[in-house]
Amino acid sequence: MAFAIEFFIRRLSQGLLIVLLVAFVIFTLLRIAPGDPIRIILGPMATATAMEETARELGLRDPIPVQFGRFIVQVASGDFGHSFIRGKQGGASGGSQDGAPDLSQRASVMDLILTALPYTLILASLGLIFAFLIAIPIGLAAGLNAGRWQQKLGLYISSFFVSLPNIWVGVVLIYLLSAKSGLLPAIGYRGIAYAIIPAIVMAIEMSPILIRAIAVSIAANVQEGYFNVGQVRGIPRSKMIYRHVVRNAAVPLLNVFSAQMIGMLLGGLFVVEYIFSFPGIGLLTINAVFQRDFPIIQAVAILASAVLVLINILVDFASTTIDRRLKF
Amino acid sequence: MTDIPLSARPRSRSVAHRILAGAWATTEMKVAFFIFAALAVLTVVAPFVIDASATKITVADRFLPPIFMEGGRYPYLLGTDQLGRDLLLRSLIGLRNAFAIGIVSVVIMFVIGCAIGIYSGYRGGWVDVVLMRITDVQMSIPVVILAITILGMSRPNAFTVIAVLVLASWPAYARVARSVTLAERQKEYVRAAKILGASDLRIMALHIAPSILPSIAFVAVLDIARMMIFEAIFGFIGIGIQPPTPTFGTIISAGTQYLLNAWWITIVPGFLLALALTSLNLMGGVLERSRNLVLQGQL
Repeated sequence: MAFAIEFFIRRLSQGLLIVLLVAFVIFTLLRIAPGDPIRIILGPMATATAMEETARELGLRDPIPVQFGRFIVQVASGDFGHSFIRGKQGGASGGSQDGAPDLSQRASVMDLILTALPYTLILASLGLIFAFLIAIPIGLAAGLNAGRWQQKLGLYISSFFVSLPNIWVGVVLIYLLSAKSGLLPAIGYRGIAYAIIPAIVMAIEMSPILIRAIAVSIAANVQEGYFNVGQVRGIPRSKMIYRHVVRNAAVPLLNVFSAQMIGMLLGGLFVVEYIFSFPGIGLLTINAVFQRDFPIIQAVAILASAVLVLINILVDFASTTIDRRLKF
Repeated sequence: MTDIPLSARPRSRSVAHRILAGAWATTEMKVAFFIFAALAVLTVVAPFVIDASATKITVADRFLPPIFMEGGRYPYLLGTDQLGRDLLLRSLIGLRNAFAIGIVSVVIMFVIGCAIGIYSGYRGGWVDVVLMRITDVQMSIPVVILAITILGMSRPNAFTVIAVLVLASWPAYARVARSVTLAERQKEYVRAAKILGASDLRIMALHIAPSILPSIAFVAVLDIARMMIFEAIFGFIGIGIQPPTPTFGTIISAGTQYLLNAWWITIVPGFLLALALTSLNLMGGVLERSRNLVLQGQL
């Protein structure tokens, strides 16, 4: 228990520092990059004085460290600020001519994220389920038959799937499954059916990593002595595989779920949501970038890196508690 | 190893040589290399042979399907796009640009990442701690978020696209190079060099780097393909190299508007890209396996 507490205190404080640094990097990048959000908030007709006034009101003319300090204090109390552009009623209110933007009329970033989050979670979990449905049979077959055709097949399939750009797979599937045959709906979201094609795209993107990880980890276990010993003692091969190999192979699989997989999942979600106009966090963020809506971008970047850091900590914790040989 | 006669051991051959030889012995490697070489030759030769243009707008020849379909006609082997430009040539130029970006960015991230990794692992101490925490920070920002933040804010070009890819991916190389260096530092040849009075820089550049880099370099082939996919994604979102330069992302995204009537605009170029990437990934996969066998002393 003492081990767990020490572990979490140490890693969480490190993680907090990492997230803070990520926040600072993104925060600074947004402000030094060209592209003025005020122009988009006020529209093309705004006068220089009006723009200056709005910029001051939003605090964008203060030195970046001052802005960042203010932002962090705000975030610490759970407030990610208000969108520059999006109104409370959902519509974007950019380009209004009536002077300075009234902050109370603008949607809070937290609300926008919480509205989008369920969609992203649906897509992510469906994508993961599909990915496992593809990867488990192929990976198992490849791992159990090292050196035979099944292993080659695993290599071919994963090499092929990694080579398919998700944007292209998305468009092809929209054409085949939706536009041409009308089997499934594709654009937007009006029910769980709308998540199926995007989830398939995510699954094709993620499955190669899983196939490889499963195959390698199963193959390593089959080579170990206990697999043969068990069979010599009269335990059927299928039972050995099902009871012991799969269970032991699951530990290294956990590690795949760290940075690589989650980073890929997050990245994939952004692109796939954009392709399918799927109303999740990714679409929210990409639109925010094009509208220079700093508060939304900052918040998503911070939350995404926090999720990444947290999952890494949890995975490390899980693997150290399952296998004590691994030192934290 | 002990039962092999000394003369038969492949010890005079370098690690790089053995990895390549091991990979080349497989059919997959030969097939993939042949496909890739054929595509490379095609990108160079096609513009001279095909009597069409990748950039000239020919309104009369809009929406022509590929030549194997009804209505398709010479010289548009893979059809034309919404502006009457030849799709095969556009795809090949897109492929060339994507590959150039992929290889340049991987070379840069490899050099920077490995240099930092070797330095970090060799020096150890607080330098190591600081550098590794920086990689932690960098790796905690999802690539796509970083890319849309930087590229979406400015007018992107090849240079900024490469910069973003390098920025997002060097930490992986730094991590690997560092962990290998940590093990390498303890070895006898490094200590011997030190006793002979070699400087740290000399040891890192002339002793450690040549022995650890080949095995990392071969796996970098996989990253070339990955960077090409990112380049396509950036183009699709509109944050890649800007039109009129043909890139896969822009070709595919422009074609989506005509998906129902002219599906080939989006779908055909993708086949070409997928073919090129599959051959690259297959080569990378075989090289990686061959490397692992060499490192385990089985080859």
